[in-house]
Amino acid sequence: MSLIIKNLCARVKDGADILNGINLEIPSGEVHAIMGPNGSGKSTLSKVLCGHPDYEVTGGSVSLDGQDLLAMSVDERSRAGLFLAFQYPVEVPGVTNANFMRAAMQARLPKGEDVDAVSFYKELRGRMKQLGMDTKFTARAVNEGFSGGEKKRNDILQMMMLQPSYAILDETDSGLDVDALRIVSDGVNAMRAPFRSFLVITHYKRLLDYIHPDVVHILSQGKIVKTGGFELVDHIENHGFDFLKTTKE
Amino acid sequence: MDFPQNMSMEAAFALAEAEAKLDAALQESRERFEQAIIPNRLNEDWRFGRPHKYATALAELLQSSLLSHGVATVLHAEEAAVRITAEDDDLRQTEMLMPTIGSDAMLGMHLKRFGQGYALYIEESTTEPIVITYRGGELYTPATFIMVAPGVKAHVIEHHIGSPGSTMFATRNIQVAEGAALKVELTSKGFEHYMCITNIQNMGGKVSHLTAHEDSAWVREETVAEIYTAGADTRLFSANHLGGASVLDQHTKQIHHVGEATSDLLYKNVLDGKATATFAGNIYVAPGAHNTDAYQSNRNMLLSENATTNSLPGLEILADKVRCSHGSASAPLDEEQLFYLCSRGIPQYEAQKLVAQGFLEDVLSRFNKDEQ
Repeated sequence: MSLIIKNLCARVKDGADILNGINLEIPSGEVHAIMGPNGSGKSTLSKVLCGHPDYEVTGGSVSLDGQDLLAMSVDERSRAGLFLAFQYPVEVPGVTNANFMRAAMQARLPKGEDVDAVSFYKELRGRMKQLGMDTKFTARAVNEGFSGGEKKRNDILQMMMLQPSYAILDETDSGLDVDALRIVSDGVNAMRAPFRSFLVITHYKRLLDYIHPDVVHILSQGKIVKTGGFELVDHIENHGFDFLKTTKE
Repeated sequence: MDFPQNMSMEAAFALAEAEAKLDAALQESRERFEQAIIPNRLNEDWRFGRPHKYATALAELLQSSLLSHGVATVLHAEEAAVRITAEDDDLRQTEMLMPTIGSDAMLGMHLKRFGQGYALYIEESTTEPIVITYRGGELYTPATFIMVAPGVKAHVIEHHIGSPGSTMFATRNIQVAEGAALKVELTSKGFEHYMCITNIQNMGGKVSHLTAHEDSAWVREETVAEIYTAGADTRLFSANHLGGASVLDQHTKQIHHVGEATSDLLYKNVLDGKATATFAGNIYVAPGAHNTDAYQSNRNMLLSENATTNSLPGLEILADKVRCSHGSASAPLDEEQLFYLCSRGIPQYEAQKLVAQGFLEDVLSRFNKDEQ
């Protein structure tokens, strides 16, 4: 069981090429980190995997547990086990967090079955407590008026509720203070399991100190140019991405 | 004119003057009905309302020999509700004096069929909402009068329910006295043709008025909210989800006769299919109505490329020191919101429905938050 990306190429619709042949395999149970300079294609990769309509796949393939991910609609990808914690979680005015989550859970049930309201709310409140969120957030519109940190926690809450097999965390650490970073990381670590993988996109070592990755990849100009262990994180923290230029030259 | 025996000369003169004024106003109204013509495209207030199709069809029906017929029921009104008859001259006169927004001819035809509906004389605060339901057949022309006494708090819900091919033309007069608070909501559903003219007279109380229309081929709604006393607070809301080829034609006037009062309007629509929504609103601040606060906002969400909106907000301010604003915006569904919801496994159709409901939700929550 794994997420296999082969020679993935993508561009902004009617625009520039951004991904230029990504090759990546994330087996179940592993945590992979992707680092890279601004504009290298990290967020594009996460959005392309989830099927964002602004991007167009121009080549390659993605297999999720043997299924053709790119042939699926956005919602099918989620129900197949893929989750994206957004870099900038979206505000949805008028739709409460509880109704949103309930609709997402309902979508996973067979026709004719309904979400059990009592156990749903019990679980939702329990997860919120775990993330240090006020349970009043259940009645608030999704991310509307939330601080940056609250939005990120809300995304992690959704991940905990939906229990995906493959979770992509796109710069989840940005906008989080030290305490929130620890709480969110604890939440993610609690979900680590042999049947679940994570792809953690970040600029900074501080998140990876909490969520220790098994493999680290460096993305540059839409390609993975280096793969290694945690020593790569240390190297980038100390020397930045300048070594990429040297490598290219 | 007969005066009571113990009436002072001064009071008798005042009464005579008031009666003369009323006679003059009624005469003026009679003349306006005589002069009025069935709306056509040259009538600015019907410019986007397809009068050649809808006004003509409604007028033909109103002028036909078809009897107005429907079933009217009222709940939780106790002693407050009175069934209107054709003999209620005072109420008929009140209807005669109603302002319209380009539909004098239609109101004149409604008056000829006067005598159906309910009048609510609310003199005690209500614990439960009073619910009036009008179920119309081929043609139904009810009238509603809601009069709330000083200091009284009330909640009234009106349901206007049609059936395939049915037409309803309703009028509504709402008077709220000083210190009173009224929440009133109107829903209409399932008509071929539906028209409603509403006049709200706020004498220093608080009125929150909500309309919601669904599943009708054509809806024309005219609402004139008049403010006569300082301290009055009038809020107008509307939330509609339109589909198919339905037409919603909404016209409003917020008339501030005096200053030191507030009016606020928020009308929102979600449009799918080939639906069309027109909003034409005007805020009028009379000379000397200083320190008026008046706002107006029309927002539309388009779920389909074939849906159409026409939004014509307007201001006419003849006083100083006022705070007035108006705005309108029509935009397609936010793709990022849709993607976010779908990315959690919610099918696109369901996600679209959630976003659309969310768009209308703030109208309902603002109305619900308003105290009765």
